[in-house]
Amino acid sequence: MALVWKLLRQHISVPQFAGFFFANLVGMVIILLGIQFYNDTQAIYNGEDSFMKADYLIVNKKIGAMSAITGKDNSFSKSDIEDLKDQKFVEKIGTFTPSAFNVRASFNISGVQNLSTDMFFESVPDEFVDVARDHWSWKKGETNIPIILPKNYLDLYNFGYAQSRNMPKLSEGILGAMKLNITVMGRGKQDSYDGVIAGFSSRLNTILVPDSFMKWANDEYADGESKMSTRVIMQVNNPTDERITSYLQDHNMETDQDKLDASKTTFVLRVIVGIVMGVGLVISILSFYILMLSVYLLVQKNSSKLENLLLIGYSPSKVSLPYQALTVGLNVVVLILAFIILFIVRNIYLVMFENFFPDMSVPSMLPSLVVGVILLVVVSILNIIAVRNKVMSIWKRKD
Amino acid sequence: MNKIKLINTLPNVFQSRTDIASDIWLQDVEFEKGRLYLVEANSGTGKSSLCSFIYGYRNDYQGRILFDDEDIRKYSISQWTDLRKKHFALLWQELRLFPELTAMENVQIKNKLTGFQKKKQILEWFEMLGIADKVDAKIGRMSFGQQQRVALIRTLCQPFDFAFVDEPISHLDDSNSEIMGNILTTEAKRQGAGVIATSIGKHIELQYDRVFKL
Repeated sequence: MALVWKLLRQHISVPQFAGFFFANLVGMVIILLGIQFYNDTQAIYNGEDSFMKADYLIVNKKIGAMSAITGKDNSFSKSDIEDLKDQKFVEKIGTFTPSAFNVRASFNISGVQNLSTDMFFESVPDEFVDVARDHWSWKKGETNIPIILPKNYLDLYNFGYAQSRNMPKLSEGILGAMKLNITVMGRGKQDSYDGVIAGFSSRLNTILVPDSFMKWANDEYADGESKMSTRVIMQVNNPTDERITSYLQDHNMETDQDKLDASKTTFVLRVIVGIVMGVGLVISILSFYILMLSVYLLVQKNSSKLENLLLIGYSPSKVSLPYQALTVGLNVVVLILAFIILFIVRNIYLVMFENFFPDMSVPSMLPSLVVGVILLVVVSILNIIAVRNKVMSIWKRKD
Repeated sequence: MNKIKLINTLPNVFQSRTDIASDIWLQDVEFEKGRLYLVEANSGTGKSSLCSFIYGYRNDYQGRILFDDEDIRKYSISQWTDLRKKHFALLWQELRLFPELTAMENVQIKNKLTGFQKKKQILEWFEMLGIADKVDAKIGRMSFGQQQRVALIRTLCQPFDFAFVDEPISHLDDSNSEIMGNILTTEAKRQGAGVIATSIGKHIELQYDRVFKL
């Protein structure tokens, strides 16, 4: 193949390939950086709350002085939910299912039972909980129940209870490894379960268990009818939509304004990153055209050599191989360089991020790596096909 | 491949002509493996077309061309590649050498593909044909007669059932023609192959089994 390459590398235009190389590099870096930057900023907004996306809104009805006195129901009726579902800004909606049985939970710290409390459970449809499926499921007969606790609980313990009683402070990691003793009572039955803490949420002011457990337990332990939910969780397509705020006001509902603001910021950020990535994509597509043009030109200039090679017995695939290897090789080098640049740039901005948000968990680079590799594969396949077609047109003497 | 058959073949460009008097065009002709043929032609009688048709380079002809009773219009890309590599050696009139490469590289680009001849044999042919000093010279710097000899060596760097040599000695003197004829027939005999030579006036002296007028 060395001789074939010696022949076919004639007429390779270094400036053209350099042009492609840098244009593609710029495009690729912009795309990858866009994805990575978006992921990294999402991590800031979501904080440790990785299982509840920032664009989910939790909505409840306002409790006014009158409703407290009159005991007016603040739960969502079926028609309320249907009405919400029909709103254009709602993408999907789920209700919180409250537990209709008694729950008692306690911690064992240093072998001593501590902090025993009455509590309640709620559940939302699993699709709203962003925890890996195998960590967020419950089947009948299992004694382990995954639980998501409000972050406030941990703060309450660490900065209040533990402080005042000289108890050890607990980090999320330690707590995650510990089990909560849970006793469920109702309808004359009393059973014990182990609560496994799947995480802490600063966005949810409730204790969340899997939907499957809630359904089963409500059937098993609840006396009488199930209770209507007092909160709904919904995904909206555009949190900056004015209609959300006005709808909620008109219907005497409320959502946490901070969260709505976070959602708005996330949305705007997403739009900006989208635009930037679009620009990157356009640059990449243009650079792809440069590459294709220079390869076509190269094949054209070397067409008599290619034809002679075909006529002395070289197969079209053997003749195509050098140019295919050249383009794929260039793509690979571009991708590797893009990754290196991405890594360096990311480290620079992560340092700034970490100054502002010391708690942020640093997301992996996997999504941008995957996107980069997918782009590489797609572009390389297109290159391979294009070169092959060009060589075949020489074989068929179409030019 | 044991035989090449031409049945009623005619280049499309001759379709309108009514005065075709040829031993090949519009005839049933058969070339057999192991025999020597000469095709004598005047200019413009379609000699290069014949090469191109048989070699799958062009198909602007009517009638049929069969290799061992298989119509070559149905040949796939891999069949043609295989044929050009293992069964059919063609020495083009225009040689189709690569001027950027040296004489040896031109030969090796074929021989590396087939792995057929030893380097010693190739050098011996260079020696016999009197171009041993040109082994590492660029083809672009060589005379046409010298290039013809390099092209012949390249043609022989593959196994073949038929060798088709298109005006191989147009630029050679008699003694070099004779050497070339010897090398060609020796190699053809060794492989039991057939040889089809064309000429336009001066032809390579061999013991032809049959002579066609194109």
